[in-house]
Amino acid sequence: MISTLLEQIHKLVYQTSEGMVHPGLTAEWVLFVLVSMVILSIGMMRAKPVTTQHVNLNVVSVFRLPFVGSKIQHMITRPAVLVSLRLIAASVFLLVIAAGLFGTQIPEKNIATTLTWTLWWSGVVISVFFVGSAWCAICPWDAIATWLVRRRLWKRGNEFASLNIKVPKIIRNIWPALMMFVVLTWLELGFGVTTSPYATALLALLVVVLATISLAVYERKAFCRYFCAVGRTLGAYGGIAPIALRPIDNAVCASCKTLECYNGTQDIEPCPTHLVMGSLKQNTYCTSCGSCTQSCPEQNINWQLRGIGNEVTYSSRPHWDESWFILGLLTLTLFHGFTMMPYWEDWMRQLAYIIGDSGRILTSFSIGMAVAMIVPIVIYSACITWLHNITGKKEPWRRVFSSMALSILPLAFAYHIAHNLSHLVRESQGFWSVVLNPFGSNTQPLSMQEVHMRHMYPLVDDNIVFALQATLILFGFWLALKVLRQRVQLLEGFKLKSSRLVYAPILLFILLINMVSLWLLMQPMIMRM
Amino acid sequence: MKVLKVKNFVLFCCLLLITTNAIAHHVLGRPSYSLGADSNTPPSMQIETQIGEYYVTYMAFPAFPKPGQQGRVNLYASRIDNGNAFNGKVTFKVRDNSFFSSKEEKLGVQDIDDGVYRQGFIFKQAGDYIVTAEFESGGQPYTIDFPLQIGDPFPIGPLGGSVLVIGVLLVAVNITQRKRLARMKATQHHTDNS
Repeated sequence: MISTLLEQIHKLVYQTSEGMVHPGLTAEWVLFVLVSMVILSIGMMRAKPVTTQHVNLNVVSVFRLPFVGSKIQHMITRPAVLVSLRLIAASVFLLVIAAGLFGTQIPEKNIATTLTWTLWWSGVVISVFFVGSAWCAICPWDAIATWLVRRRLWKRGNEFASLNIKVPKIIRNIWPALMMFVVLTWLELGFGVTTSPYATALLALLVVVLATISLAVYERKAFCRYFCAVGRTLGAYGGIAPIALRPIDNAVCASCKTLECYNGTQDIEPCPTHLVMGSLKQNTYCTSCGSCTQSCPEQNINWQLRGIGNEVTYSSRPHWDESWFILGLLTLTLFHGFTMMPYWEDWMRQLAYIIGDSGRILTSFSIGMAVAMIVPIVIYSACITWLHNITGKKEPWRRVFSSMALSILPLAFAYHIAHNLSHLVRESQGFWSVVLNPFGSNTQPLSMQEVHMRHMYPLVDDNIVFALQATLILFGFWLALKVLRQRVQLLEGFKLKSSRLVYAPILLFILLINMVSLWLLMQPMIMRM
Repeated sequence: MKVLKVKNFVLFCCLLLITTNAIAHHVLGRPSYSLGADSNTPPSMQIETQIGEYYVTYMAFPAFPKPGQQGRVNLYASRIDNGNAFNGKVTFKVRDNSFFSSKEEKLGVQDIDDGVYRQGFIFKQAGDYIVTAEFESGGQPYTIDFPLQIGDPFPIGPLGGSVLVIGVLLVAVNITQRKRLARMKATQHHTDNS
């Protein structure tokens, strides 16, 4: 019976393609995830409401770990290690720009495209799972901009090196970062930056220029806080990460009058994103720069190990702009998956034919992208309206919208990693040959056979990749339900309805998104390079 | 003896430093002044790519033709497995490479001529264009895009542009802040005196 069921799944959902594609998730794994999803959903609907008093929110201070804790503390509270890492990252970044501008334009042979899109762009999201937003601490965009404007390798720069203008109120949110994320995705998938070393180098240069302008004009690091799509993505996902910078003893922060973390000291920069560690509840804007660990006179700030997803479940505060950023993350991540399906190009060609688009059919692509973004948002809004009605409209619609968005963050995170994993294990093959010849001098494009071999025999066995992808999708679903349960209980109208129906609107949305994610992972995916 | 060896080595190094490259006035045995669009010498721009079963080489002459100037693209397509040249018809099209532009024009359809597909052109307007070569082989359509710059490229490259923008910005910020500092000092001085 199971084999018949698997056969039916195969017939129903797998799309055939004659092009060169990655194999998708097998029907066995899909069935396992589907059954688990049903069990988890029933479990959530039947479970009794919980309060945060019954939840174990214990954390472990990394500085207090046996054997390694003191060594980590020694490294983190001194600037030498961080400055060295920034120098390395900036050097590699400059190499990427040079290779993109002056090296071969064969994408798989140039370090600009392979390092940027295959390794970094795929890996940076995965890194959140292990080190939170630590990438921001060594980000070369910010490092180069800081060195240029502040004219210091470390220590606090001259405050007159920047105009220190306050960011206009209208853009003092993460809408600019969301816009940048949309533009980056458009450039990546529509314009094809990923397959052009030259365009990749131009994009890298452009971001450095933008970061430098922002630092020279606005106070602190406005680019990191408001404009950077990568930083805000890592910040949003950081709410799920099991590691974050937090106070060791909250009482010490509560009695602190000098707020060195916020104001900085004579030698150490203040928090670049205006955070006060004592009242920090969420990772969204923390760049893990470590200034607070260095400036705190009590050495009260450290890396903490905590339960996965505890922050987004219990302590994150819903905000209107951040909820839109989460929705943007979800829709654009799914859109990534759609564009790598074999039939996406056919759809775009048909659309181009209908509207009379020609050339690169960028108009058709833009329309396709807009539709792919709008449809999930409309469905989500409808579900929110339903929930709003169920809870007796006790809270403003916008608040319900913002609050429930936290429950879909794990879905975006899980699919993002699962999708990137496929790129990483297949397309990063042969990376060492690119490291040895970063400009790709005297190289030829891969032959069709080489491309085929590279994609059919990934760095990690297919079965392991499938197991990891299925586990990730299931993990995302489990965490989404956990957040949903907690967040729905916090709604004012929750007590009005003892019925389980109160979970239904968002549960349906979560189920729908997870099914789409699963379906996308099952499809054979077109190879990027 | 050792001193002599060192002296010889230094002398050798100095000779190496002052030696200049001999500038050849012949290219592949042909005097450089006879290079032209119809010569068989290497063109100014060459791009190689691989598509399906073919290895395709695209050459443009001259590299950056000016508006109104006659230019030509040469296309070589040979099979990857046996090196045989593609023998059929190749359609050349051109389109404006600016954002959201849909201007596209057919340049011509060419037969093979001595292993090469040649397509001449004259552009009235300077700009970035994409030349598309289309052919069909084994029932499969092949479409290959190549860039073509008409007129002089932008005089400042991306690196120069970035350095210029950042340089101007930092100087402007520095001047503004110096003035602001001077004003603050003057105000402070005025307050102290009164």
